[in-house]
Amino acid sequence: MGLPAVKLQGLSKTIKGKPIVNNLNLEIRPGEVFGLLGPNGAGKTTTIRMIVGLIRMTEGDVFIQGKSIKNEFKEAIREVGAIVESPEMYPFMTGKENLIHFARMIPDIDEDRIHRVMTLVGLEHAMDEKVGKYSLGMRQRLGIAQALLHRPSILILDEPTNGLDPAGIREIRHYIRNLANEEEVAVIISSHLLGEIELMCDRIGVINKGELIAIQEIRGSGKDSGPQEIKMEVKPVKKAIKLLKQQHGVESELTEGLVSFELKKELIPEVIQTLVKNGISIYEVRVTQSTLEDQFFDLIGENVVG
Amino acid sequence: MVNCWKLIHNEMMKIYKQKSTWIMYLSLLLLIVGSGILTFAFSDVETEYSDASWRIELEEENNRLFEEMEEFEFFQEINMSLIAENNYYLEHDIKPVGYGAWHFVWENEILLSIVSLFTIIIAAGIIANEFRWGTIKLLLIRPIFRTTILISKFSAVLLFALLTTIFVIVFSWFTGAVLFGVEGLNPYIVIEKQDGLEYVSLVGETMTTFALKLIHFLMMATFAFMISSIFRNSALAIGTAVFLMMAGNSIVAYFSDKEWAKYILFANTDLSQYRNPYGPVVEGMTLPFSVVILLVHFVLFMLVAWFAFTRRDISGTY
Repeated sequence: MGLPAVKLQGLSKTIKGKPIVNNLNLEIRPGEVFGLLGPNGAGKTTTIRMIVGLIRMTEGDVFIQGKSIKNEFKEAIREVGAIVESPEMYPFMTGKENLIHFARMIPDIDEDRIHRVMTLVGLEHAMDEKVGKYSLGMRQRLGIAQALLHRPSILILDEPTNGLDPAGIREIRHYIRNLANEEEVAVIISSHLLGEIELMCDRIGVINKGELIAIQEIRGSGKDSGPQEIKMEVKPVKKAIKLLKQQHGVESELTEGLVSFELKKELIPEVIQTLVKNGISIYEVRVTQSTLEDQFFDLIGENVVG
Repeated sequence: MVNCWKLIHNEMMKIYKQKSTWIMYLSLLLLIVGSGILTFAFSDVETEYSDASWRIELEEENNRLFEEMEEFEFFQEINMSLIAENNYYLEHDIKPVGYGAWHFVWENEILLSIVSLFTIIIAAGIIANEFRWGTIKLLLIRPIFRTTILISKFSAVLLFALLTTIFVIVFSWFTGAVLFGVEGLNPYIVIEKQDGLEYVSLVGETMTTFALKLIHFLMMATFAFMISSIFRNSALAIGTAVFLMMAGNSIVAYFSDKEWAKYILFANTDLSQYRNPYGPVVEGMTLPFSVVILLVHFVLFMLVAWFAFTRRDISGTY
């Protein structure tokens, strides 16, 4: 294990005595896509703004490639490309002029690089159009071009698919996976939508009331994942429960007419075979995806009520 | 290292890419041409005095001015000083130069009030607009200290003020040259100064007048810049700066009998008070005193702007 691309160390923000973000500890590896999930007002944006130095941290620090954002701001931020909330650009300048503007703020970016990133995000034909005339999707893509301009090793995207249509979301997802897989860029994405973030990320951290309450691996969950909750509609029920206990050592119980038990995903076919061989009729098998969803919707529910 | 010039270049690009800036220049252009044509059509300026009879022409001019004075009391003061100037030429046997491009530039000093308004608008917007556009977030996540960004923004305001003033000078000169001709390379004229009438270079006088005016309105622009940095709102910055610019003289006049009136910024912004015949606003003020007061205010404004810009969080709500 090398240096983490991003490391949050006891990151805290208190505003007027009220903790907004409380003691966040987190490491993100190079080439990893990390999702920061939480309801609105959970502290996602504050966390992201602290990572890029827009908001001062009350306590703790953020290390980017080992460099402190607090004490070595220039060196640390040099590694970061970011879109913080919506990708606002200067509407009275063309897409290219906007990129020239940001290119002047970082050493060693030539005209060629500007063309490269414009082509990468598919804006090469709209380069000389005023950004004011861009659609939201085009602006989002220009935002990504701006973030990639200086070949950052860390990309931070705050709600990157806000206001995009499904095609646009798919496109963004594609860029992000590509960057992570091929260029070893570490990506941090924040979102309040689980479905969206699940498709892009390797790992998801759930944040609520300023605290990181769960971290879940998403990728590679096929094999060495823990047991998942399985519900079956079978007949006869009693015989099935007995068989499960005898043949597989699985404790199951009857809830709402369904036999439910915990089992690793890869063992499901075996169990089904056993049941079929012993003359049990199977009407339905349901696998509950993950516990993350439950946790998250609990949070959302709580958020709505509170 | 990114050099500061590149950042200033960026700021200038943002200023001049906006349509509103071009409207400013267009309105200045119309004002210059307009006032030129009005002077040309309705004012009986003497563009050239003849070698043989300039003394007679001046006498005739004086007589005309006397008649005018008797008819309209309103003109008394200005005509008296014009007559005094004419007499100076006669007494010292100097042939006066006629009205031309340089005279026109000198008179267009009045346009600097407009330039100052525009500079205030630019200074008020240069920070606040980044917040309004939301681009401040993209601007401050670059490997550049906020202080450097602030310096580049203020430098851009100075540069805008300078370029716009030069525009007024150059464009006025050419308009004047086309309408009235040129008086020569370095014409001398008689002007009433603190110690009475003096025979001075018109070009030098014009440049000094413009430079002193520039100091005056850059103070107001710095003030707008500070307000813009504190409140991140350009309308508020323009409003307060323009109000103070307009009300400045009244404020000083209102408190003029107080001992501390001379410490008010507006009593010191107009440095031409040490050159013109009327003298300083508050008795006992000197040029070095005013310069110190101006510097203290300038440093104060910049420190507050710097503190507000570099020390505060960029959170979602402005």
